[in-house]
Amino acid sequence: MSDGPLALTINGKSRQFEKVPDSERLLDTLRWRAGLKGTKEGCRTGGCGACTVLVNGEPTLSCLVLSREVSQEKVTTIEGVATEKVGRLVIKAFTEAGAVQCGYCTPGFVVALAAQLRGGGSPPSVDTLVDGLEGNLCRCTGYCAIQKAVEAAREAVK
Amino acid sequence: MTRRDAEPKARGALEYGTDLEAPGMLWAALVRSPVAHGRIVHLDLSNARKMPGVVAVVGPDDLRALLPKGALEAERPVFPLDEIRYRGEPIAAVAAETLEQARRAAAAVAPEVESLRVDARIEDIFPEWPSEAAARDPRVVGHVHARHGDVDAKFRSAELVHSETYRTSGVHQVAIEPHACLAEIRDGTFCVRSSTQTPFGLREDIASILGIPESRLLIEGTWVGGGFGGKGAAFLEPYALLLAVASGRPVKLSLTYAEEFELGRTTLPSIIRLDTAVHRGRIVGRRVRLLLDTGASLPGRDFAVGYSIGFLLGPYRTETYEIEGFALQTNKPPFGPHRAPFAPQSAFALESHLDGLARRLGIDPIEFRKLHAWREGDRTAYDQPVGPFGLEAGLEAAARTAGRWRAGLPPGHGIGVACGFWSTSVGAGGEARLLLQPDGLVILEGEREIGNGSVVQGLAIVAERVLGLPLDAIRVEYGDTATAPFDSGVFGSRTLGALGQAVEKAARSLANTLATRAGVKVIQLEMKNSQVMVVAGRRRQKLVDLLTPAERAAGGIEALGKHYAPERKIDLSRVLAGTVYPYQDFTAAVHLAEVEVDRETGRVRVVRYAAFHDLGKAVDPPAVIAQVEGGVVMGLGTALSEEMLWTPEARLANPGLLDYRLPRIRDVPPIHVEVIEGFAGAGPFGAKGIGEPPIIPVPAAVANAVADATGTRVFELPLTPERVARALKLL
Repeated sequence: MSDGPLALTINGKSRQFEKVPDSERLLDTLRWRAGLKGTKEGCRTGGCGACTVLVNGEPTLSCLVLSREVSQEKVTTIEGVATEKVGRLVIKAFTEAGAVQCGYCTPGFVVALAAQLRGGGSPPSVDTLVDGLEGNLCRCTGYCAIQKAVEAAREAVK
Repeated sequence: MTRRDAEPKARGALEYGTDLEAPGMLWAALVRSPVAHGRIVHLDLSNARKMPGVVAVVGPDDLRALLPKGALEAERPVFPLDEIRYRGEPIAAVAAETLEQARRAAAAVAPEVESLRVDARIEDIFPEWPSEAAARDPRVVGHVHARHGDVDAKFRSAELVHSETYRTSGVHQVAIEPHACLAEIRDGTFCVRSSTQTPFGLREDIASILGIPESRLLIEGTWVGGGFGGKGAAFLEPYALLLAVASGRPVKLSLTYAEEFELGRTTLPSIIRLDTAVHRGRIVGRRVRLLLDTGASLPGRDFAVGYSIGFLLGPYRTETYEIEGFALQTNKPPFGPHRAPFAPQSAFALESHLDGLARRLGIDPIEFRKLHAWREGDRTAYDQPVGPFGLEAGLEAAARTAGRWRAGLPPGHGIGVACGFWSTSVGAGGEARLLLQPDGLVILEGEREIGNGSVVQGLAIVAERVLGLPLDAIRVEYGDTATAPFDSGVFGSRTLGALGQAVEKAARSLANTLATRAGVKVIQLEMKNSQVMVVAGRRRQKLVDLLTPAERAAGGIEALGKHYAPERKIDLSRVLAGTVYPYQDFTAAVHLAEVEVDRETGRVRVVRYAAFHDLGKAVDPPAVIAQVEGGVVMGLGTALSEEMLWTPEARLANPGLLDYRLPRIRDVPPIHVEVIEGFAGAGPFGAKGIGEPPIIPVPAAVANAVADATGTRVFELPLTPERVARALKLL
């Protein structure tokens, strides 16, 4: 196994890291090298969605991606999404719908929903948007308030 | 008002246990037992010590050097000194510069272990229902036997005896955040930051495990990514502390999800036998027998069987009864609390049983429950008085909804009803320190918000109601176990009901002090230009003008409120052996489920759901609805898909989310929530707790709906397609 320098584009900025093992996952590079801990560590097996980030705008489970695989791509984390207009609207919708309890899954949900709403044009249907959250688990809310947040966020970006 | 913690959580800005980091920090990994039951013959840690990046390795032999005297006599040693009692039990721990190095070193340890006979299943320990003498078997770690009235005579003269056996499965809390903590030694003090529901409980627990006085421990909570009972007792913290002592550096330890499942202190399987004697349409006697798998629980430390067994009598008048429960030690991890510990499983058995009995008698299941439902003034099984209790009102509300659903019920669908009760305001009580400053109120607590809103919002609302200050002028601040007042923690649906009373007392004390200074009987507070104003009759003055010079220097006026639960006596003459738990401040729940059963695959789809909850007074109505929705959906997991599967060697076959299925967003039916008010509890403004009750009736309501749809009862949780198909004789 080798380790060496790694360059990533994270939230629009170029970042350089030293001595990154080839086996390192994007989740760990983001959290422990870039200091971006808004991306949450859950199951590390692709089962919970808490670590969802965007790679070239596509929702991606950062626990299943090696950092080196995305060195040529654009990575956007919750910290980046939160500075965008759509991200702010999604966060507001989650906050006002009461869709945040322990909040550990929330950044993953916000990223996964914002990904579907940030393309511009008319937003997908509520059904399509909810389907896009099937990979995100929440243990607190029973998803009821999250569904309301999806509707509110969709209205807000229209 | 939206919760203060919601927005920063949504943008990922708050620090949870998994996020903890400190300068010079090491990463830890656990060396875990390769067998479910065995004796350590030789544990050679020298290889691990030589691995790259490794700074410290600790095992049983290191305890004497690292800990003060007394640690080795602790009731629960941090590492097994001899006998390994479950697969994956930590037997040593490693700290290294990187997590990967720590895990590699831990994996390099190859303990020499002599395997012993494995007890994997309770039905193999007692294939027949055990006799009283069986209580002497060393694997019986808890035995409860209680009797009331001449139950034998009632069974002899009964017109009908309804007898059934139910089975329930192991289920896991699965908080999305895994357990995580960071330990360091500062000036001789053992400091831990941890994602915990109970900082003070953790302090007590760690002290007893490590054999050090509580005064040498400092616990600080982090934001908690879900608890559900799983983040109460000490778990990782003693290992991390030992490594911090050995290395002299801060040590971070967190669990993988596989470890979460394999080490989880959670609900384990049970077998429940119920016999009910009926005379003239009424229940006149019940026999309850419970075999509860309590895993590697130690004798005398089992809380589960005594706590659980009362739920098998239910919130119903029971003229005579005999209950007997055995807590059986197996080679699974120890039983641990999981949102309303064992109550959903008990309710599944009892409420299924009552439903079948009502059908056999030709009585409407809701009416049958109403006939027996506790009312205020009734006595519980342990002769405790039942306070204001809204079960009958809940059943009446449910009957109206069920009638509407029944009118338009499509073929293949069924409707099920189930009840549950819970006892809230438990725990050793707690204290609240309020600091009223010229520009607002601070509530200081040692425990963090764990998600349900009871700390960050519920306590603030109590102060708002008492003092009249708007919510945005009240904030909760979190201290550690040295700076914050004591509280027993966020568990047992107790926070608002019990700790809320401490906040209420402190707020009233502040109001009284200010009223005396203002020369009136009653004051109210309000905000004007970001200043706290004291309103006394028609006079308004700034708070600062009522403060003493010392208070001004200290930044405000302080008050401490204390609430400790009154000791409640139970009739021990009814208890022949073991310990039963007294309940108090009863809350009632009635749930309705409509399901559709696929007659080819056995798949159950929940079409709609309604939950009626007596909670005294909804102090924070949106939070109540959120708790009920979340509890119902967690219960749907217990009902339909969640099941920990162990092999005959007590190896967990599905230690992860890919094989242990949680409800997803598309599994959720419309949920109607109705609050039944008017049956006041002991909490502020008559509140009762609502964290746990919503999960309790769910598996039973679903199972009863399946029986209604198909005419066939399923006697085992969860109701997977396979089990339903077998019951329908499709397989």
